[in-house]
Amino acid sequence: MSELKFVITGTAGVGKTTAICALSDVPPVGTDADTTDELSIIKSTTTVAFDFGEVVLDDGARVRIYGTPGQERFRHMWEIIAEGALGLIILVDNSRPDPLDDLMIYMDNFKQLIEDTGVVIGVTRCNGSDRVSIDDYYSFLERRDMFCPVLEADPRSREDMVVLMDALMAMLEYA
Amino acid sequence: MLAEKEENSIKRSVVDRNLKQLIANNESIYAVVLSSIDGHAIANQAQDHFEDSKLAAMTSSCLALGEKIALEANQKGCDFVIIQNQDGFLALKRVGRKLVLTTLADKSINMGMLLSATRTAADALYKEIT
Repeated sequence: MSELKFVITGTAGVGKTTAICALSDVPPVGTDADTTDELSIIKSTTTVAFDFGEVVLDDGARVRIYGTPGQERFRHMWEIIAEGALGLIILVDNSRPDPLDDLMIYMDNFKQLIEDTGVVIGVTRCNGSDRVSIDDYYSFLERRDMFCPVLEADPRSREDMVVLMDALMAMLEYA
Repeated sequence: MLAEKEENSIKRSVVDRNLKQLIANNESIYAVVLSSIDGHAIANQAQDHFEDSKLAAMTSSCLALGEKIALEANQKGCDFVIIQNQDGFLALKRVGRKLVLTTLADKSINMGMLLSATRTAADALYKEIT
């Protein structure tokens, strides 16, 4: 039985833990700690090591999904989690002041994994706002000679997260 | 606001006193770090210059993992996470809900002494500042 490992990353509070809870077919494992900084305004806990969930595909293959901590001070975990991964999902919170800048932080830090495998981008909290549109994301990536699927996604929705995962698998299959 | 500042200053002096004491009383302990449970360095004392920010984030991850592994193994109340190396030890201990105390010692230390000293300091900090 084959096993795949995908990683979900993105800024703190974007919905990585929620996405794994929505996707996982087994009880997810989390490593939350109480927030003690400015993040406590929006959430009471934050992931400090990883989140883990598992999805069983129709053919019986298992996809292990790891969520990273969002904050850059946990970069040591990014490196550990990226080891052996076969693809990356970056979640971007479109309501933050500069979501494209946020995106680049993760594109840069996971550069090797992206080059070796593939990436899809899920844009959360769009709320009908066109402040930064999906086209803006594509233009931004194109200016940097990058191409990958960019999709609106609600991390609470299993359906949305499955669409992201399918897009990632299609990228890997046809790369 | 002034009262809050004064309270923070008192807490700071309590932290510094306890960390200094831990180092002073144990020759083999060469550094000690107090950090928040979500990975921010709060204070450190060390025999030499010591960079604590990265270690604070790493100990937060490591303690969370230790506590989670204990639960997975059906064990409760993770007390210490201990990292034993060729040339020394690290002992990580939670202080209340929000803090982590990390003690770094060279290999000459007796493990029981390390754990005991770390526990004493953690208990004192818990009583005095949380």
